[in-house]
Amino acid sequence: MWNYTGIAKRTREYHEAIILSKIVEISPTTRHEGHSKLVLKVDDAGIVERGDWLSITPVRGVEKLAIGKTMDQVPKIASRVCGICPIAHTLAGIESMEGSIRCEIPKDAKLLRIILQCANRLHSIALHNILILPDFYLPGTDTKINPFSPQEPVRSVAKRIQRLREIGQTIGQIAGGEAVHPSNPRVGGMYKACTQQAKTKMYDLAKEGLVLAHEQMDLMLAIINNMKKRDWVEVGGKQIPLPKTLGYHNQGYMAAHPVYASSNLDECPGWDPKRWTDVRPWDWYMGEGEVSLADPSYPIGGTSPVGTKVNPQMEACTGVPLYDGAPVEVGPRARLVTFKNFDEKGTWGQHIARQLEYTDSLYAMINALDEYNPNGKVLADHIPQGDGSLGWAANEAPRGCDVHLAKVKDGRVLYYEMLVPTTWNFPTCSRALTGAPWQVAEMVVRGYDPCVSCATHMIVVDEDKRIVAQKLIK
Amino acid sequence: MPLMRHSNEVREMAGELGKYKLCVSARSADKAILKKAQDGGIVTQLFKFALEEGIIDGAIVAGPGDEPWRPRPFIATTVEELMSSSGTKYNISPQVSWIKEATRSFGLDKIGIVGTPCQMQAVRKGQLYPVGLRDVPDKIKLAIGIFCMENFSYQSVKQLVEDHAAMKMEAVKKMEIGKGKFWVYGQRGQVVQLPLKVTHKYEQPGCHVCLDYVANLADVSTGSVGSPDGWSTVFVRTRNGDDIWSKAIAAGCFETKPIEQVKPGLELVTKLATEKITKNQKTVEERAKFGVNKGLRNPYLGPK
Repeated sequence: MWNYTGIAKRTREYHEAIILSKIVEISPTTRHEGHSKLVLKVDDAGIVERGDWLSITPVRGVEKLAIGKTMDQVPKIASRVCGICPIAHTLAGIESMEGSIRCEIPKDAKLLRIILQCANRLHSIALHNILILPDFYLPGTDTKINPFSPQEPVRSVAKRIQRLREIGQTIGQIAGGEAVHPSNPRVGGMYKACTQQAKTKMYDLAKEGLVLAHEQMDLMLAIINNMKKRDWVEVGGKQIPLPKTLGYHNQGYMAAHPVYASSNLDECPGWDPKRWTDVRPWDWYMGEGEVSLADPSYPIGGTSPVGTKVNPQMEACTGVPLYDGAPVEVGPRARLVTFKNFDEKGTWGQHIARQLEYTDSLYAMINALDEYNPNGKVLADHIPQGDGSLGWAANEAPRGCDVHLAKVKDGRVLYYEMLVPTTWNFPTCSRALTGAPWQVAEMVVRGYDPCVSCATHMIVVDEDKRIVAQKLIK
Repeated sequence: MPLMRHSNEVREMAGELGKYKLCVSARSADKAILKKAQDGGIVTQLFKFALEEGIIDGAIVAGPGDEPWRPRPFIATTVEELMSSSGTKYNISPQVSWIKEATRSFGLDKIGIVGTPCQMQAVRKGQLYPVGLRDVPDKIKLAIGIFCMENFSYQSVKQLVEDHAAMKMEAVKKMEIGKGKFWVYGQRGQVVQLPLKVTHKYEQPGCHVCLDYVANLADVSTGSVGSPDGWSTVFVRTRNGDDIWSKAIAAGCFETKPIEQVKPGLELVTKLATEKITKNQKTVEERAKFGVNKGLRNPYLGPK
């Protein structure tokens, strides 16, 4: 029997894809961490009808490496997936192990971890400022901002950003042992307590940072609000209209905690593993196609030339995690929407939320420092070795909720999974591209402050948490 | 002899004493320090001065460990803590292992460190190639080296004291190497001297490839050899060391005598340094021929 509906549907798709729509590819995308690309199906006016933003960073296979290693080793290995938010990975990894073995850590160890977390967030927001500023205009002018310019006022802004990063990294270094891959956190607490002198130093730095963060936040908010009022933006020498709904999407938000993290040991956990499922990329992204629109004047070498083959289904190096069966947004806005009734939407809303977290992270840090007792215990008296039950930790990394899941038995890891922020954001951001001129699609991507390399994982589980697909070497 | 000329100019010394700007015989002007000191109390006094002046905000010293006479690296941030660590313990204290921690959970910005010549080499190497020492090199503000012929493991010193000198470790008041002997002073006043020959087999084998007697790479290096009892020989080597030393002198921290005017003077230092280097050079060369067609690499040369 003929399936007329099927034929009609396929004909329509063909018609849309070949006759009406054009495909443009921006590869690689720039000014964010890792390697990713955009494959955009656009109409005659250049408006995105369907966008696929996908990771092309090779898969790391950390989850496989973890199996059989000790619970102390795995979080340290896992943190090496990335150099931007390794603190979040270390803490989420360790706390997922603690969740599995059911180990409660002393209060002062927790406080040191919060300080470390906030230090990382401070440095990360400042770094992101540098990455996005070239998209923005000096308020009241048609001059785009070059953060590396020696001219004022930009030079002093760049210096302030660097000082904020330095403060974040130095505090992270003291509380965590290292600013990048922290050595001090361990399963059961922390290796070393900070002395009174170290506490005082962190406090002084946080106070200095707070003043700078307020100034920087005000400036960034002025720049972003100015951008909201603009009708066009210059990309590759052309004036591109800027939609008021840039980056809007209809997906939900997911955040486990306003500042720090939640785990299965919490009385009221902020995340639920039962609500999480995965979809394989070949069931989610667009299929094979060919680039039919190219623009050599697009910044950094132009878009891919006409005729380039694209196949997002097979090229994507991430699974598609879903929460309650749908993609969700994670990140600063998700935190503010979930916990503080924030209601700004779109790309500008994301940027605004991130700036608001500047001071939040410093206040949280100062509060934790106030409470921290340098003579307190930082390691649990008893560290169980685990019976193989599932533990998870959802750490609120700078760019969103970073969930690690683990099963530990007799001190060894049986199962390990990382659901990192940008993995959650890939499908959501892809949806948010629709309706914007393709030339500004990268601005939408940057709104998520992507960290692509750690997002590159390929173990897909079904509703029963059975592994249905894995891709370790592409 | 070229060694004995002017004491305040930079001299290109014969290799055995390294480069230095100044060499004097000195002792602390503080009676309390001298009372606890091994010799002239140079390390304790110089760190005390640097701490009080804010030149350093903490120093990695060999503090008391879990067992008697077993040192452990200790970060002293007050004069009291410094005083509790004075005196020589003739066995290993892994000072450099704490240098990063000092900048981390101790929150120090300006570190002082005291150590043997090999430890000074490690500190300088770490400053040149800070692998695993992120943000540490520029925080090392005063490195004091101590003269060292060789070192012992804790078990070795224990055997020397408990078996050869027949004394419990906790009963020992002071240990000293001088005048060709290993001296052990008991709390009750007993004194045992062992010929150095007895100690040789207890030395760490690793020390036998060391070609540095007077901590050539320190800012300031010091040791008893060359000066009378209760005094120490001090080499001020770097511009930084000279700066701190001259401030300490101006503040009246030390009594000094020109090295030319004390006995046994630099001649003995040179003699012992030459002995160490000549003897160890032989070990280095022997090791190069060790085994069949392979041999051990000279640690002072890069791989071929």
